[in-house]
Amino acid sequence: MDELQEFTDPYSADTGQEEEQEKYVTFKSGNEYFAIRIEYVSEIIQIQPITMIPESEDYVKGLINLRGKIIPVIDVRLRFCQEPFEYNDRTCIIVINVNSTIVGLVVEKIAEVVEIREKKTLPQSSVGRSDKAQNKYVFAIGKVGDYVKLLLDPERLLNDVEGPSAEQAGGEPALKEEEK
Amino acid sequence: MAEEFSTEGMLDMYLFENEQLLESLQETVLEQKDAECFDEDSINEIFRAMHTIKGSSAIMMFDNITAVAHKLEDIFYYLRESHPEEVPHLELVDHVLEVSDFISNEMDKIKGGSQADGDATNLIAGMDKFLKSIQTGGASGKAGVPETKHEEPKHFYIAPVATSASHFYKIFITYHPGTELVNIHAYKAVYALKELAEDLLYSPEDIVSNEESAEVILNDGFRVLLQAQCSEEDIRKIIGVGYDVKKVDIYECSGEEFLQGFDFGESGPQIDLESGVEEIEQKAAAKSEQPAPAAAKPAMAPGDFVIKPKESGRPKKLVKEKPKPSEKASFISVSVNKMDMLMDLIGELVISESVVLQNQDLRVPGLNLTNFNKAAAQMSKISTDLQNVIMSMRMVPLTNTFQKMNRIVFDVSRKLGKDIEFEMIGETTEVDKNIIEHISDPLMHLVRNAVDHGIETAEERAASGKTEKAKVTLSAKTEAGKVWISVVDNGKGLDRDKILKKARNQGILDETRPDSTYSDKEIYQFITLPGFSTNEQVTEYSGRGVGMDVVVSNIQAIGGNLDIESIPGEGSTMNLKIPLTLAIIDGIVMETGRSTFVIEMNVVKEFVSVTEDMMIHEPNGDEYVMLRGECFPVLRLGEWYHLTDYKKNVEDGMMVILELEGRAICVLVDRLIGKQEIVVKPIPSYVKKVKGLTGCTQLGDGSIALILDPSGLV
Repeated sequence: MDELQEFTDPYSADTGQEEEQEKYVTFKSGNEYFAIRIEYVSEIIQIQPITMIPESEDYVKGLINLRGKIIPVIDVRLRFCQEPFEYNDRTCIIVINVNSTIVGLVVEKIAEVVEIREKKTLPQSSVGRSDKAQNKYVFAIGKVGDYVKLLLDPERLLNDVEGPSAEQAGGEPALKEEEK
Repeated sequence: MAEEFSTEGMLDMYLFENEQLLESLQETVLEQKDAECFDEDSINEIFRAMHTIKGSSAIMMFDNITAVAHKLEDIFYYLRESHPEEVPHLELVDHVLEVSDFISNEMDKIKGGSQADGDATNLIAGMDKFLKSIQTGGASGKAGVPETKHEEPKHFYIAPVATSASHFYKIFITYHPGTELVNIHAYKAVYALKELAEDLLYSPEDIVSNEESAEVILNDGFRVLLQAQCSEEDIRKIIGVGYDVKKVDIYECSGEEFLQGFDFGESGPQIDLESGVEEIEQKAAAKSEQPAPAAAKPAMAPGDFVIKPKESGRPKKLVKEKPKPSEKASFISVSVNKMDMLMDLIGELVISESVVLQNQDLRVPGLNLTNFNKAAAQMSKISTDLQNVIMSMRMVPLTNTFQKMNRIVFDVSRKLGKDIEFEMIGETTEVDKNIIEHISDPLMHLVRNAVDHGIETAEERAASGKTEKAKVTLSAKTEAGKVWISVVDNGKGLDRDKILKKARNQGILDETRPDSTYSDKEIYQFITLPGFSTNEQVTEYSGRGVGMDVVVSNIQAIGGNLDIESIPGEGSTMNLKIPLTLAIIDGIVMETGRSTFVIEMNVVKEFVSVTEDMMIHEPNGDEYVMLRGECFPVLRLGEWYHLTDYKKNVEDGMMVILELEGRAICVLVDRLIGKQEIVVKPIPSYVKKVKGLTGCTQLGDGSIALILDPSGLV
């Protein structure tokens, strides 16, 4: 953590204090880095044996036993319609609590905790290509130094897309086919 | 609430207390609804309850509740003080119930955060009228001139029913001059005599309330008229001469003398009711069983008491019926959340116990575990005890729920003009609190249905030649780890043909199937379908076809089921079978593919290994297994849930035969792991509902197993 602070500190000089400062947990999934506001994150644990639930969506990996509490876990890569990956000991579960729904997110690698000061809210169309499933869950793009992090809206991540991007969900499969 | 200061805590307390008061009030009232009048204890109880509610409501500034409670308190104050005769009991019961309904209604509003704004004017006016009517109509008790002030002694006229065994006594008790509180001593004597009295009056009459009566007793003596089936000796035993009693004179007298009241040959005008008394005398002399109050009535003079005859042998109102046992267990109320937390923690404890006791590290060969095993056994015992205790803490008797049903039968049957006897059996059966919450509504529906649909009207009953009284029985018992609650009525029963016809009209029936192939049970199950009601007329209580399906879904939600039996013309029986508790069950743990499943032990009939030649394969893919001449459908769990790496060959796996509601099914699993007590946890709501799974649980090694729902598989 301390290192991280140092890492982000230099940037604080360039930007004004009055800008919104929020801490984000960032993680890697596929080639991109995603970020979730730290308020949503209750803890990060190592990958655990997961009990699969039959007949559920493929991204719902199953249930884990978190010190007596049984919580569902979802695979973020599958949720973003990316290629599945093999779990290894770098694999982590981010336990998030969104409106009292507790869910674990299986991610490839936890990157760091950052303070994102400069946040650009981009119109939906300009956030990457709209054919990427992950973009349904991204509400903004944050800049940390020279890197860009995709800021995730956990509510959209859990509840199947509602809100502004709902219409896009319908058009998505068609676009995918075009890609092929 | 208009007040500025916070009443949060007070409000909770207020609601809680008053709810309990109302509950016990209703219970008391319903207990005695069939009696002729309330006994002294319940009058006092209702009075106290109303008094408390009035007081606390006034503090909380719920004016309408205060007003209503006050009015009812007035009525009961009058009843308590004046013991008026001829109180229209049912009307009184109605008033009490109305008031308790009104108050609970208002309290619901308060709970919901809104204003207690119900209008009580009508209710109060009604009670006012009632109070006036008993004050003037019944007896002029209160209006009577108090003993100490009046010029002539008061007369009591009674029309007792003489039986051969009854004796009449005039008792004259003189107390030692200087005895203090002699009126209380006199009351003691009266109280003692009540035990054997068939009829009892005394003078001065207001010994308890009027302290001046003490003087009268000291000067003039205390006079008692007693009708009882006992000898003079018995009376002397009860009011023996003692430190207070100077002399007891007992004169046995005839019925007619008894009627003339306190005439000990002293001053006091004779009764000028010749005609009336003559008639009574005749009747008394004839030892008639018929009471003759009508004869005495017309000539009744104001200020006199008319005491209605009692059937002999029946306890008089003044006489205590039976002392209620007043054993009071001490209770504390604990918030349900804390209980749930404790429950959860104990669940955790049970799990971590098995984690420790079945730890991998113990499986090292050659370990000497004797001492460990001893300690482990001790610990298991304690944790089992702990579990039982917490379970019993959550167990609540069904009494309250059943009482509510009593009320419903009472209300509905009166409104529908049916005379129905309600019987409760086994209401002290205890079930888990969660379950009580879930069965209250379904039971209400069933009881209402029984009263409304089940029981015929009096005319119909007479027409079909039924002599016994219409009766609804609500009973509960525990058997085989389940609670069985049944609602039985002796009404007309279900009409098979009518249900069939209705089912055909609604297109539920399979038209290719002849009617006769439907079993009664199958047909009766139709009434549990949504929108199915055979009552042609929608009444206030039932007939809209909602209800039975709600009942069934509520019952199924807690893992229970409903069974309907009926004999045309003789009545129907609704049986509810509900698990005693939802929290911890005995389960069989088994494995298929890489998943672990648990199934409730009660539904497992047997385990069998089968060979390929016992299998029957249908062309459409259905499979059956022949076992001892019986054919069971086979469900391959791995296939059903599209698992991977499960054993495809039946000879490698294990068949588990499940039996539920008379249907059996064979489930093929890879292997059995063992029997375990499992703590049922819900599958997180984030995961969508999967058919055949009811929950999940944690196993001894910390892994998670899914609990199969037999009703989803069968």
